[in-house]
Amino acid sequence: MHKLETVVVAISRICVGIAFTVLIVAVLIQVFGRSFSVSPIWTEELTRFALLYLCAFGIGLAWRSGDLVNVDIFCESLPGPWPRRLRFVSALCTSLLCAVLLMPAWKFVSIGAFQTSPAMSVQMTYVHLSVFVLIASLLVFSLLRVVSMLLGKDDGLALNRKADL
Amino acid sequence: MGLIVLASVFFLALLIGIPVAVTLGVASLCYLLVMDIPIVVMPQKMYAGLDVFVLLSIPGFILAGNLMNQGGITERIIRFANALVGWIRGGLALTNVGASMLFGGITGTAVADAASIGGVMIPGMKKSGYPADFSAAVTAASSTVGPIIPPSVPMIIVGALSGISVGKMFLAGAVPGVLMGFAMMITTYIIARRRGFPKQPWLGASEIAKSFSGAFWALAMTVIIIYGLLSGLATPTETAVIASIYAFVVGAFVYRELPIKQVPRILVDSAISSAGILALVGFANVFGWILVSERIPQMIADAVLSITDNKFAVILMINILLLIIGMFMETIAALIILFVPLLTLAQAVGIDPLHFATFAVLNLMIGLTTPPLGVCLFVCANIAKQPLMPVVKAILPFLFTNIAVLLLVSYVPAIATWLPSVLMP
Repeated sequence: MHKLETVVVAISRICVGIAFTVLIVAVLIQVFGRSFSVSPIWTEELTRFALLYLCAFGIGLAWRSGDLVNVDIFCESLPGPWPRRLRFVSALCTSLLCAVLLMPAWKFVSIGAFQTSPAMSVQMTYVHLSVFVLIASLLVFSLLRVVSMLLGKDDGLALNRKADL
Repeated sequence: MGLIVLASVFFLALLIGIPVAVTLGVASLCYLLVMDIPIVVMPQKMYAGLDVFVLLSIPGFILAGNLMNQGGITERIIRFANALVGWIRGGLALTNVGASMLFGGITGTAVADAASIGGVMIPGMKKSGYPADFSAAVTAASSTVGPIIPPSVPMIIVGALSGISVGKMFLAGAVPGVLMGFAMMITTYIIARRRGFPKQPWLGASEIAKSFSGAFWALAMTVIIIYGLLSGLATPTETAVIASIYAFVVGAFVYRELPIKQVPRILVDSAISSAGILALVGFANVFGWILVSERIPQMIADAVLSITDNKFAVILMINILLLIIGMFMETIAALIILFVPLLTLAQAVGIDPLHFATFAVLNLMIGLTTPPLGVCLFVCANIAKQPLMPVVKAILPFLFTNIAVLLLVSYVPAIATWLPSVLMP
């Protein structure tokens, strides 16, 4: 279980890093291109697509680290086993939301087949795919927490929160 | 029926501690199911919410702030601020506020400001005889100027929501941010005199010059950002990326304190923080779309206008509402959900959108230092190793100061709109 999580985290971090690097490089090409002649028109589009994938691959990691922002002051102040129970419910609700959204997200991906992006002429399927990846990433990370909590190997706290304690 | 489901699921999910972004998603999904609307609308609206040009600048500004933070600027900025105001009574506390103002020109989030300045200043102040609760309070309160002085992540979000130029938003925050900083310095000075806090010896103009030359490269980033946006030479996204490259060069080659090996980790961590904010924007776009299609903004406007159409009364009502919401809700989430409905109301009584956006952001920043959900309050109390209540007590004078500045900005629109009207007509 721990090994699986390590692999998923590593893959997600690499993908987030690539998306952010693509975003930075595309913007720099845009700036330098404009400084010396005319910037290529595809850079603006590529930057936008990179941001979508940055969010898609980063959301699971953000969920894991507590960057999605929890208002947990009430549930963490409850007595006994309640905070842990509510953290479990929170992870389960996230998994359920993503599970329900997965098929509609795929439908949205397939809608993209009818369009191409204006500058790069990329089929929009590949761009809409970012929303599917986003939901899948959140599903994987929340399911990992659900299973780890069921196995008693995780207390359900976000990483930032653990660092605070 | 749909609205009742939306509201009850939303509040229940928040109460049990589900992350705000997911809460917005769960509530929206339940609404769509009850109203029998195809769920494919959700991914569509999330995509539309994220595919907004100005949002592209968020990761860049966060990266630039993090690179600067790890690149040795904190000590340099504190040294410069100390040379400027450390000799006045309550010098270290004033240094703390001054450093937050200078830091605000580099980072766009208050928490980063509270953590980095607090990490150095709170132990230093405690060592010099300042009470721990006061040290934490002054750090937390002053960190809120960070997202008001440009650059500012909340201002970018407002730009994305309203279509107001991000450059104008940044400029609109500059004067109120500086005003808030100076007002907090006055409060600090009054408290320092009353409680007999120490002052440090005057270190002379040479120390000001020396510390300025140390902090110069860090402070120059603020100038680059403002110039990039004002000159029209670069878009906000380009400015953010250029600021990141600049922060890298300064940290790695000028100050030589940024470990190059750490850069990939900082890059990925900045992207993850950005993804957290962007996810919120994506899910909130679905929620916002539901609110608009249910005509909630119009209903709020009509309800308020049926009580009064007096501009001053409406400004007061908006401020009270935002202060209460800001106490219980995360700033960016509150901004995303409430901005559009309240903007409709503000425009109905003739408030300039730029002015409204400025005092709304300023107001929600105050929520960062109020219990039960003041993130900066927690961060600083944690660093000072203090329980929350004494810090809450100690922050009260600063809270009143900030509310006074908020009212001033709310009722004198020129404080927010003058600078953008002169520099970006």
